Amino acid sequence: MGAAMMKTVPRIDALHHSASARIAAPKLRLEGVCKRFDVSAAQATVAVADFTLDIARGEFLVIVGPSGCGKTTVLNVLAGLEAPTGGAVTIDGRAIRGPGPDRGVMFQDYALFPWHTVWGNVEFGLRHGPAGSGLDADARRKRVASYVDLVGLSGSEAKYPHQLSGGMRQRVALARLMANEPDVLLMDEPLAALDAQTRIILQEELLRIWGQDRPAAERRTVVFITHAIDEAVFLADRVAVMTSHPGRIKAVIDVDLPRPRNDATRALPQFQALTQHIWSLIRDEAYRATVT
Amino acid sequence: MAVFFVVWALIARWTANPVLLPSPLAVGEAFAALAGDLELFRHAGISFGRMLISVGIAVAIAIPLGLAMGLSRTLDGIVDPTIEVLRPISGIAWIPLALFIFGIGNALPVFIMTYTAFFPILLGTVAGVHGVDRKLIDAARTMGVPYRAIVMRVVAPAALPSLLVALRLGVASSWTAVVAAELIGAPSGLGYAVEWYRELLATPQVMAFIAMIGILGYLTDRAVRALATRFTPWAVETRQGHS
Amino acid sequence: MSAATATHSTVAARAWPWRGVLLPLVILAVWQAWGVVGGNVRTPLPTRVVGAAGDLIASGDLPWGIAQSLGRVFLGFAVAALIAIPLGLAMGAFRSVERNVDPLIESFRPIAAIAILPLAILWLGTGTAAAVMIVAYAAFFPIVVNTVAGAKRVEPTLLRAAATMGLSRFATLRTVVIPAALPAIGIGLRIGMGVAWTAIVAAELAVGAKAGGGNTGGIGQMMFVFYAYSIELNRIVVCMIAVGLVALVLDRAIRLGMRLLMPWAPR
Repeated sequence: MGAAMMKTVPRIDALHHSASARIAAPKLRLEGVCKRFDVSAAQATVAVADFTLDIARGEFLVIVGPSGCGKTTVLNVLAGLEAPTGGAVTIDGRAIRGPGPDRGVMFQDYALFPWHTVWGNVEFGLRHGPAGSGLDADARRKRVASYVDLVGLSGSEAKYPHQLSGGMRQRVALARLMANEPDVLLMDEPLAALDAQTRIILQEELLRIWGQDRPAAERRTVVFITHAIDEAVFLADRVAVMTSHPGRIKAVIDVDLPRPRNDATRALPQFQALTQHIWSLIRDEAYRATVT
Repeated sequence: MAVFFVVWALIARWTANPVLLPSPLAVGEAFAALAGDLELFRHAGISFGRMLISVGIAVAIAIPLGLAMGLSRTLDGIVDPTIEVLRPISGIAWIPLALFIFGIGNALPVFIMTYTAFFPILLGTVAGVHGVDRKLIDAARTMGVPYRAIVMRVVAPAALPSLLVALRLGVASSWTAVVAAELIGAPSGLGYAVEWYRELLATPQVMAFIAMIGILGYLTDRAVRALATRFTPWAVETRQGHS
Repeated sequence: MSAATATHSTVAARAWPWRGVLLPLVILAVWQAWGVVGGNVRTPLPTRVVGAAGDLIASGDLPWGIAQSLGRVFLGFAVAALIAIPLGLAMGAFRSVERNVDPLIESFRPIAAIAILPLAILWLGTGTAAAVMIVAYAAFFPIVVNTVAGAKRVEPTLLRAAATMGLSRFATLRTVVIPAALPAIGIGLRIGMGVAWTAIVAAELAVGAKAGGGNTGGIGQMMFVFYAYSIELNRIVVCMIAVGLVALVLDRAIRLGMRLLMPWAPR
């Protein structure tokens, strides 16, 4: 009786692990990337080594791993903010040489310009950077207005960042990022500074803004970093699990939960199973990080 | 830096007026001569001694007062407005009145310098006490530590970094005042020497003494900074821009 | 100040709002009493000081002296700011500039403006030119030091955000570094103004002491004249108070100016 009443918990098996990390014609490719920081003449930290990962066009890829495993380094390399010590990183087959508006970045602490209003911040990249070239003032205004509206901040355009709540600031950061219409969105733990409730709301908002209700072809590629596993499973098409010291890919898990995702998704047994599975992959390392 | 001396030498060559702008060499020679017959050090010592006394007096009054004001809102409310009224009246502005009271001599520079050093040290101490993280005090209280011990062992150490920054400021201000006070109202010291040689139109000597003022000011500042590092190694040295 | 102490202080303030006046009143009373009992005709007393103030203002001497000093301060301050701010920004943004210029600045910084006065007099005489030079020299250092600190301490994430939006180095300097450094520049300007005012008073005092009498002017010189020539101690005190008041007003003015320049700053 007991066994029949119990819900069958789906098992995660090898099928969920991507056969390899490679894809044909990826949007972004990291190949054997390694990054070493020279702390001093004698000492060096290898943040990331032998890191290989392909990211498909229009997919939402989440990288998850224990604290200090090098996730941010990977993102910085993709953003072009740091150059890899070894290996190659490309976008559409072209080598990445530096930062640019085609790979927009959302930072953990929002990085909003305190001296600009919401409007001023969202407009910034269009006004002063290459993303806005070819736009006259009127076209620029229209674009800024549409993105402010998309993130749900119409009516708050004249406010300064210090007048906004954490959730609102995150929306501004997102609008600013998207106004430049980048091919790729790189997000470094953007929701980490928010309280748990706001975080849940914004996860759904993020998916909406990304276009989870729309056909896959219209979505932009997203590389998202987090240490919260439930967040990773909720958002992702695929989850790349990293180990630390040095950082490399341990496994890539397909998340075959249906879209659009919402509160109901979290109740699905498949959601639980995936979360547990990923946790089991990281658990030991996470423990070690607390005692060393 | 080397470029500076080269440019100086060239301009001196070009103007060819040793009274107006002596060459770096001439100044160097004057410096050496003054150092040789110890006149340089005599005046320097006098000025420096006055500064030590002044800062000492200022510290002796300002730190206890500042601690008390930081801890007691009532005291702060009584004393602070008076302080705020007196502070904008710079030590320099006191010189004429002080000249009248003390006359020309040692007391005048010391008075002016003490006054000048007093305010930054006092205010820095108060700020240091106010800046103590409330949680540190609460933590001590929940451990049953009595008030006196909290003041001595929590508040004082926590306020120390800010206090030492204020001390640096006080010493620097005091050193500025020493020159002004001696220039106008003292029979000895670096400020006096600068003015004395100016009246003789002996510019190399004037510059030599000015250089000495700078050197001593720099060394004193370094000394206080070393003090700060020695006694508060845990404090992140925020290289504040204040000067 | 944590919430706990803030409430405590408001309660205390409400309980006894006039306690701030207590100490000054006591001092004034003691001063007056001591002077009346133990002093002579020359002794400065609060009552006499008030009288002297009335005289000086009515005769126009005080306002004129202040105006002269202020004129020199503004001139010198403007010169200092016009050099120090661009230089400070350049030093903050470009390591090479900083490396070359910083030793020079640090060498001269401990040398107070007033020490340069004899040199200034030697070169420029005892008039306004020398005074302006002293003021500019004095104000230069706080402004440049704070500007460099402000330019260097721009939050790295802001610079990174601009980089990821494809901004050039120069555009980043213009649109990110300068606005971000404004608060620090404001601090530099405030300190610089304070130092400038002190410097002009000191310079005028010194010139008055050496050049004797005359009307080359300013409040510092007035003070010296009252000391050495007409021995009007009450007038000296009036000048001292005026010096203090002007310092306060200048400080508030700069603070207001900075607030207007930075409408985004939280109150």
